[in-house]
Amino acid sequence: MIRWLLGPAVVAAALVAVTGCKPASRGPVQITLQRFFGACDAEFGSSTDVPAAEGECGIITTLINKFNADNPDIRVKVNIVYWPGYDQLSAELAAGHPPDLVTMHESVISDYSQRHLIMPLDAVLASVGVDPAGFTRAAREGVTRDGSVYALPFDTWAPLWHVNLNLMRAAGLVRDGAPVLPHSAEELLQQARQFTRATGKPYLIQSIVNDPAASARNLFTCLMQQNSDFFADPRRIRLQTPEARRVLQLFKQIRDEGLTTRDQDYTAATAAFLNGQGGVYIVGTWMIGTYEQASLQTGSPLAGGYTVVPFPQLYSGRDVTYADGHSWVIPTAKRSAQKTAAIARLLRFLRDNDFQWSRTGHLPAYQDVIDSARWRALPHRTEVARLVDTAAPLPAGVQRQFTIQQIISEEMESAITGQKPIDSALADAERRVNDLLFNLL
Amino acid sequence: MTLRAPSAGAGAGRNWALLALLALASLAMAAPLLWTLLLSLKSNGDLLRSTRSAFSPPYTLQNYSDILGHSAVFGWLLNSTIVSLAVTLGVLALSSLAGYGFARLRFPGRAVLFIVLLFGLAIPEQSVIIARHQMFSALNLHNTYRGLILPGLAAPFGVFLMTQYFRATPRELEEAATLDGASRFKIFWRILLPLSLPAQATLGIFTFLSTWNDYWWPLISATDSDMYTLTVGVASSQMNFAQTNGLGYLMAQAVFASAPILIVYVIFQRYIVAGVSRAAT
Repeated sequence: MIRWLLGPAVVAAALVAVTGCKPASRGPVQITLQRFFGACDAEFGSSTDVPAAEGECGIITTLINKFNADNPDIRVKVNIVYWPGYDQLSAELAAGHPPDLVTMHESVISDYSQRHLIMPLDAVLASVGVDPAGFTRAAREGVTRDGSVYALPFDTWAPLWHVNLNLMRAAGLVRDGAPVLPHSAEELLQQARQFTRATGKPYLIQSIVNDPAASARNLFTCLMQQNSDFFADPRRIRLQTPEARRVLQLFKQIRDEGLTTRDQDYTAATAAFLNGQGGVYIVGTWMIGTYEQASLQTGSPLAGGYTVVPFPQLYSGRDVTYADGHSWVIPTAKRSAQKTAAIARLLRFLRDNDFQWSRTGHLPAYQDVIDSARWRALPHRTEVARLVDTAAPLPAGVQRQFTIQQIISEEMESAITGQKPIDSALADAERRVNDLLFNLL
Repeated sequence: MTLRAPSAGAGAGRNWALLALLALASLAMAAPLLWTLLLSLKSNGDLLRSTRSAFSPPYTLQNYSDILGHSAVFGWLLNSTIVSLAVTLGVLALSSLAGYGFARLRFPGRAVLFIVLLFGLAIPEQSVIIARHQMFSALNLHNTYRGLILPGLAAPFGVFLMTQYFRATPRELEEAATLDGASRFKIFWRILLPLSLPAQATLGIFTFLSTWNDYWWPLISATDSDMYTLTVGVASSQMNFAQTNGLGYLMAQAVFASAPILIVYVIFQRYIVAGVSRAAT
């Protein structure tokens, strides 16, 4: 019996000894990079030809392939997560095994930086010569918390006005090849009415059903344009204000007068613009490539008639658009100096290739790329370049921004569609957001 | 009043009407699946313009080719198979043994223990997930097969089902075996276990299906892409706004992920139907 038990025990002990005592590897340093943007191995899995790659997934995949090929002493292992991946990141942090480098929205950085779950990167960036002075103002604001840089910015994105020039021309709203845009809320209504009378189609295309953020982004932009200090205290929002009421009244009136598409979710709205069902679609930088492609196809409603511009200044306060951005953060963990140096080299590589990333449509995070001729030569980049000066995130200390956007969008949708009086919706939004922020740990 | 027997013609008519109704209901049930399949055969670009394009050619297998071209997908398939099979076998073994114990053995605290077990049926997974995650962190079990398999083995429903099944089995069978000198384990192994095969089949199929489809626990426990199960893996490979820009690919993923389940269903269809009707009674 003892022999019968001893046999497997000896084998198991030997296995443990063999696997547990293997000599330290002298191979390349491994970095685990965790990102969203999807997987596209079938098309770009082994490609290192970055300029030939297209789309967020294609460009980031080939970038990492190229880094691995150019740096044989480092191996970047990529963990792709379902967007936005914060549940997984939180689970990894709780388990004490976070990845080495992670994609993070700049609006989310405060959630992690305030709990010291991600590292300040000032020293890491300085070690590879990345100077935050080279960041655009929007990017610098997006990644800086309490005077420290917590992320390498990768881009800035903001809601833009994608314009169907063919329909605008039919409505007499094109001058010198450029769309005639409103400079006030009243002008917006007037132009929208003119457009709808001439084309029989709604002026605006809006994703308003089950959209977690679109309405909130509009509100943030319009409040900022009125110099409303709605987040004077990052732990308390003020929405029961004349400025907020004015914005909701505007969007409700647009809907009530039939100047916008109704009851569309993101997919329907995206397709509606592609199919020429309205004049202006308010959506982010990431759609520039798709619509530009459509404008090059004969027979498309956008053929030869697409342009894109920043959110126009509708209020007299200041020219500003709410913005966010993608960035790279390093979760706090014990790492060898060798590994930290390898991560720093990868950050430098990503910074150096920001132009390639900006081909996705997102605005570069570095002023030298914005100023470069090759970036300005990309389609529509000159039209949106002024965003560098006008893009602004929410105040840095505001946490839970994704949830806040969702709450505000829900309440705005209720008010705009007439399910709730505007004052009730604003009061409810304010109460729900403040409850959320009050109960933060 | 005169009662008249229904004519053969009227009976046949009723049968046809019933058949038509059932066909309509089947079509309504199958429609989402057929829609998914149809969309998966269209290019993302076509679907971005309009999903109505699904009703007309050209059709393509490009979305499936893209899935199969992803180097990790077969690893995820293997992980799901290993985890689902291990959990299923484990649940069958543990539930049968525990069910037999509760049904036939007398031991101190049996009634209390059984009530505690029944509480397990009422406690949602969400309420214990953080504690479980911390426990598995402390044991360094995340990103391992053990980490994915062990939580699934705690199956109060399985124990309850097997207990009820064993209780319904005539005691005379055991008494006869005892008279013949069979040990307690031999009675369980040779007599009761074979008799419980229908219940085991039901439990096994449902356990396999629920483990295969599980998303939440693998999402937070298997965070290393090498350890992803198929559900987490296919979700991770979706681009942002996949429902808009990559609808065809998204639907192909849905078809691909559910294909093994469909195969299991086709093979064990008889047991699943029997299991459902048994659960209903």
